[in-house]
Amino acid sequence: MSGNTAQAQARAHGLDKEQMKALRAERAAWVERASARARETRKELKALRAALAATGATESAAGAGATVPEIAAAANLAPDRALWLLASLRKFGEVAEVDKDGDFYRYALVGAPAPEQEQ
Amino acid sequence: MDLTEHTFDALVVGGGIAGLQAALDLADQGHRTAIIEKDASIGGKMIRLSKVFPTLDCASCITTPKMAAAAHHGAITLFTCCDLNAVAREDAGFVADVTQQPRYVDVDKCIGCRKCEYACPVLVEDAEQGGFSGRKAIRIPFSNAIPQKAVLDVENCMLCGKCASVCPTGAVVYDQKPEPLRIRAGAVVLATGFELTPIEDKRQYGSGEIPNVVSSMQMERLLAPHGPYGRVLRPSDGKVPDSIAYVQCAGSRDASMGVSYCSRVCCMYAIKQAMLLSGSLPLADITIYYMDIRAFGKNYEQFYQNAKAMGIEFVKAKVARLDPGEDGAVAVRFEDQSGEGVSTREHDLVVLSMGMLPGWQPGEACSVSTASDGFVRTIRPKMAPSLTDVDGVFVAGVAAGPKDIVDTITEAGGAAMEAAKYLAAHAARNQAQGRTQGRTQGQEATNG
Repeated sequence: MSGNTAQAQARAHGLDKEQMKALRAERAAWVERASARARETRKELKALRAALAATGATESAAGAGATVPEIAAAANLAPDRALWLLASLRKFGEVAEVDKDGDFYRYALVGAPAPEQEQ
Repeated sequence: MDLTEHTFDALVVGGGIAGLQAALDLADQGHRTAIIEKDASIGGKMIRLSKVFPTLDCASCITTPKMAAAAHHGAITLFTCCDLNAVAREDAGFVADVTQQPRYVDVDKCIGCRKCEYACPVLVEDAEQGGFSGRKAIRIPFSNAIPQKAVLDVENCMLCGKCASVCPTGAVVYDQKPEPLRIRAGAVVLATGFELTPIEDKRQYGSGEIPNVVSSMQMERLLAPHGPYGRVLRPSDGKVPDSIAYVQCAGSRDASMGVSYCSRVCCMYAIKQAMLLSGSLPLADITIYYMDIRAFGKNYEQFYQNAKAMGIEFVKAKVARLDPGEDGAVAVRFEDQSGEGVSTREHDLVVLSMGMLPGWQPGEACSVSTASDGFVRTIRPKMAPSLTDVDGVFVAGVAAGPKDIVDTITEAGGAAMEAAKYLAAHAARNQAQGRTQGRTQGQEATNG
């Protein structure tokens, strides 16, 4: 979202441009830290979603999805971080557990297109 | 910001199970009661638990109706996000100075639709889920929170405006300020609960740095139906654990942590969790390393014996240290008291049975005194355990010392009765004084 859009929305909710600017200045350290965190999370989620998309969706045939170590390796994330992100996406209905695979469960995106079948 | 003043018959400090029970009992007797709660939702620790011992009843099935009853009771007013600054005697009652921290959401406008939560781009550790998953900067605290109103964590907000843009009622208020409240009441019930001893405080157990060493409250979340993973998994890699260990007295009976007392409930909650684990992971080996098992309540000994019969292994040993093992395992080094000597075993997951610390220290804020353990001192612990050394201030639940839910609810009912008795005595005294004053004025008028 652009700064202008945020300003417009804030104005619509009772804060004008100057008030919003003052609030940003007052909370500069928090805003900066939160923005950095959001940027980092967005990158991680993009990699995680790509790794999941490559393994099929919950609606596709049996064998869809991947385990936490597999997803972590594909997304180049630490396994604990991959599980944390999967649990967060699961809360918002974006990811679901599909079935068990040895000592691990497999996870898949909900409603994502199935991967192209190898000919 | 203008000071808002409120007057009630009774003030209950803390909206956990003790505070809710005390408030409901007072309100049912017709006393207008205020509950002040520091969190954004009432329910306290109990609403975060999976099940309760020894019945294995669902904890939220017991707590949620009480939360709803308090929220909908005509004689109860809830104040959430509140810090109690001071409570002092004033005339015949008490006056409490409270700061209501901002939610950055207009509670009158918020309809709890969670659109803001879905739109927020910031993910941070969700303490409500033991840190095992993320939450948004703006969110409803948890699924059965009361009130179902959003709260914005301003320290993790990037002021992007997305939440405000999707809110259908325009409830987001980025510049909301803390609001001072003054609450007058005839009696006060302290139900301030407990906090767990910090996992970081035990260096020998890794200070919280060893993967797959979790606290007992984190295990409650893993076991809860709405837990972070929906099942019990190892946090380091999502593996289904084959071997789980409990380390008892990890935060109690330990002078090195400044907690020399027994926290009373750790044995029973560890046994409860072990039984739940053996139900959800029937093939897993579950071991409890303990110094003594304190099964003190009705049917508790039977509960312990049932756990042994289910195959849970009890090892009488004090765990000396924990270290990272191979492939995410945790090495537990202990001295077996049955004569096996010092041994080391590896487990996939280790749970530390943390002890209880007072949830609130009265300090300068309130003149009630505390005992050497930091919990509120009770002046007649055997005959009237809710009496403090300040007339008109009562204590309920773990605020007075570690205890289980059964005792907490019973004592909360007792505290409500003591407070009601105190209020009735004061009302009678005021009425008598009023009659005396009336007669005196009448005589003066006649004489005049």
